[in-house]
Amino acid sequence: MTQTRNLIDENGRRTDGRTTDELREIKITVGVVKNADGSAFIEFGKNKIVAAVYGPREVHPKHMALPDRCVLRCRYHMSPFSTDTRKNPAPSRREIEISKVMREALEPALMLEDYPRAAIDVFVEVLQADGGSRCAGITAASIALADAGINMRDIVASCAAGKVDEKIVLDINDTEDKEGGADMPVAYMPHLEQVTLLQLDGILNHEQFNECVDKAIKGCEIVYEIQRQALMQKYFGNETELKEEQ
Amino acid sequence: MGMQEIKRKFVVPGDRITEGNVRPSMNVIKLGNAIIATRIGIAEAGRDGIKVIPLSGVYIPRVNDIVIGKITDHSSLSWEVDINSCFSGHLPAQDVFGRDFSPARDDMGRQLAIGDLITARIIVFDRTRDPMLTIQDKDLGKIPRGEFLKISATRVPRLIGKRGSMIQTIEQATQTRVLIGQNGIVVVTGRNPEGIKLAVRAIRMVEEEAHTSNLTQRVKVLLNVPDTITTTPQPTEGGTSVTQIEKGQKVEELQSNIQDVEEEIEEELEKGEKL
Amino acid sequence: MSSSKRSTIIVEHLRRQQMWDAISKGKRLDGRNLDDLRPLEIELDIIKKANGSAKVKLGNSEVIAGVKIETGEPFEGLENKGALILSAEVLPTASPYIEPGPPDEETIELARVVDRGIRESEMIDLDKLVLVPGKIVYTIFVDCSIINADGNLFDATSYAAVSALASSKVPIFEMQDDKVVHTGNNQDPPITTIPISITAIRIGEAVILDPTSEEEACMNARITITTNSNGDYTAIQKGSTGAFTIEQIKKAAETARIKGEEVRAKLKELTKDG
Repeated sequence: MTQTRNLIDENGRRTDGRTTDELREIKITVGVVKNADGSAFIEFGKNKIVAAVYGPREVHPKHMALPDRCVLRCRYHMSPFSTDTRKNPAPSRREIEISKVMREALEPALMLEDYPRAAIDVFVEVLQADGGSRCAGITAASIALADAGINMRDIVASCAAGKVDEKIVLDINDTEDKEGGADMPVAYMPHLEQVTLLQLDGILNHEQFNECVDKAIKGCEIVYEIQRQALMQKYFGNETELKEEQ
Repeated sequence: MGMQEIKRKFVVPGDRITEGNVRPSMNVIKLGNAIIATRIGIAEAGRDGIKVIPLSGVYIPRVNDIVIGKITDHSSLSWEVDINSCFSGHLPAQDVFGRDFSPARDDMGRQLAIGDLITARIIVFDRTRDPMLTIQDKDLGKIPRGEFLKISATRVPRLIGKRGSMIQTIEQATQTRVLIGQNGIVVVTGRNPEGIKLAVRAIRMVEEEAHTSNLTQRVKVLLNVPDTITTTPQPTEGGTSVTQIEKGQKVEELQSNIQDVEEEIEEELEKGEKL
Repeated sequence: MSSSKRSTIIVEHLRRQQMWDAISKGKRLDGRNLDDLRPLEIELDIIKKANGSAKVKLGNSEVIAGVKIETGEPFEGLENKGALILSAEVLPTASPYIEPGPPDEETIELARVVDRGIRESEMIDLDKLVLVPGKIVYTIFVDCSIINADGNLFDATSYAAVSALASSKVPIFEMQDDKVVHTGNNQDPPITTIPISITAIRIGEAVILDPTSEEEACMNARITITTNSNGDYTAIQKGSTGAFTIEQIKKAAETARIKGEEVRAKLKELTKDG
């Protein structure tokens, strides 16, 4: 990806007015899909994504069950109206790859050995896409998994950093994704301090790479606070503990 | 860090509850020196160590649990029972027809048809196979009538209450009998339809607000029961929900009684130390 | 090939009994009368990147429809008309009984019935959406994603698609040097009528409207009837493995006209169109 025009102006403002270290606005609602065991809706900039979790539940067909742990299945899919040009509803190769990396980003946090011979299904549907939809999808899926009561070692937060006008910036948007110099989505478990997803698209030298990783992790930490807040709000309102003997 | 500080703290997965020489109990893991929550819920310190009382999650079967299940199918040797979990239960034909059961002679569909609800006990369950059920004990068997509802299995202990107090408050105030399965299935029976409706509302309120303070008070207000009346377990016509919640639960109650007394002693000791 | 399936939802005997008792007294388990629709919520323009969009909640059934308008070749045999392509997907988020994969016969029927209701009524005047006769026309994609399924997906999906279409903004294209170019301006879609579908099911001898998924699991038969703004019938589909009496069908058709008008009024108020 070689850039053709300037994406950051003389005041350090990006195409959507943000500075290099600013995240887009994030809003999360928990428990939006009535039939699901757990769910969340996320607005991450202009991304609008719903994540639903069913599980643990019976595996169909039965022979796919694993004797000592749970089967985790993830589907990342974009609705046809979610992109600039209308997208064919059939799963594309991109969606299939993202489904895989999404599963591998979430699996380290889940205690699958607690549910042998069962399955946990995670469905992420992108209703409107605007750069960083896989990160937003993973972020929503983590919350949906917690909402479903799956045993988790940590919550997975996800955010991307990238290179724009030779600067390392946080949370690249659609334009920066298409025209910028590099895109690095990352998923991270903030308490265990471990990375569960890392991809790179573009060119970064050694220094830029290190800076990009650090910035993406910082972004993940900010995203995590918003995830935690959304869960606490849904379940406990403004309280932090149970006050009296019932 | 004292046990008092983590008492009833609200947590989400990944939250560090406490550190130090403490034992991990349910829904937590120990990482180095720290106890980490693995579910959304309420952290509590007890005799067994630190645990989290979960507020969401599918029902996972346990041996000796009383569950309410729905017949979904049958083979020639057993019924398949939906117990609102990730595993289907199986009720062997022999459990109903006896040892000399013969598929040629005994018609399974006539005993228990698809869609029938049963109160059953889980007698076998482990990581390698689906739960096996029995309906042979007292108060188990087909449920002939009643209002059916599903609540989250995590709210069942709160619905039952300490020594059955919450559910008996509801039963007595509405003149109903409430069958509660550990798996979150509830059936309300009674002669008065208004009473049944009110009981359902009270049950829904407990489900939604299980983790809030003063819930008992608010339920009593809904049921029009004066706050000064405390419900003591007593037999009602036809048996109480306490007897229906079988032996396993009674053992749990006894243990919880012992736990309460021990906690009281601990608190007294700590106070003594401070002096 | 279509084959019988085992029922996905097994309704508890107690619930089924309660349902029959209630229906015999003219009520349903959620307190509605036999003829009542569930609360209908419609939110427009929720997908800004689309040319039109709507989120519909009919009770707990939730559908999002998005309209994308591009240009392309006309359909064979319809060279001087714009192309309308409608699809629907019941997302695997919608219920525990959905398996991800290519659309099954239920989903295909759903999409085709919703499509017929809109196409046969000529809701969109496709004659007005031609760029180069015989060669390049406007292509209108209407895609519906069903997010939560609780019965009567036919009506919920249809209302979402119709609302999205009625409130969409059609980009004005023109030809410049043999290339299609967006002028940067938009126009209202050429709408001639607002088709509204009403779905009824038979349980025992009773016919009830807007079923929940639990009621659908107990039904004998189902019928979806679409009317246009004149009250004419433009599309009908009977479904499920039971049967209706002729009397029931005629009554359902009459009810569909009346209830259809009520829903149409609500939609019109929202989109200020038709």
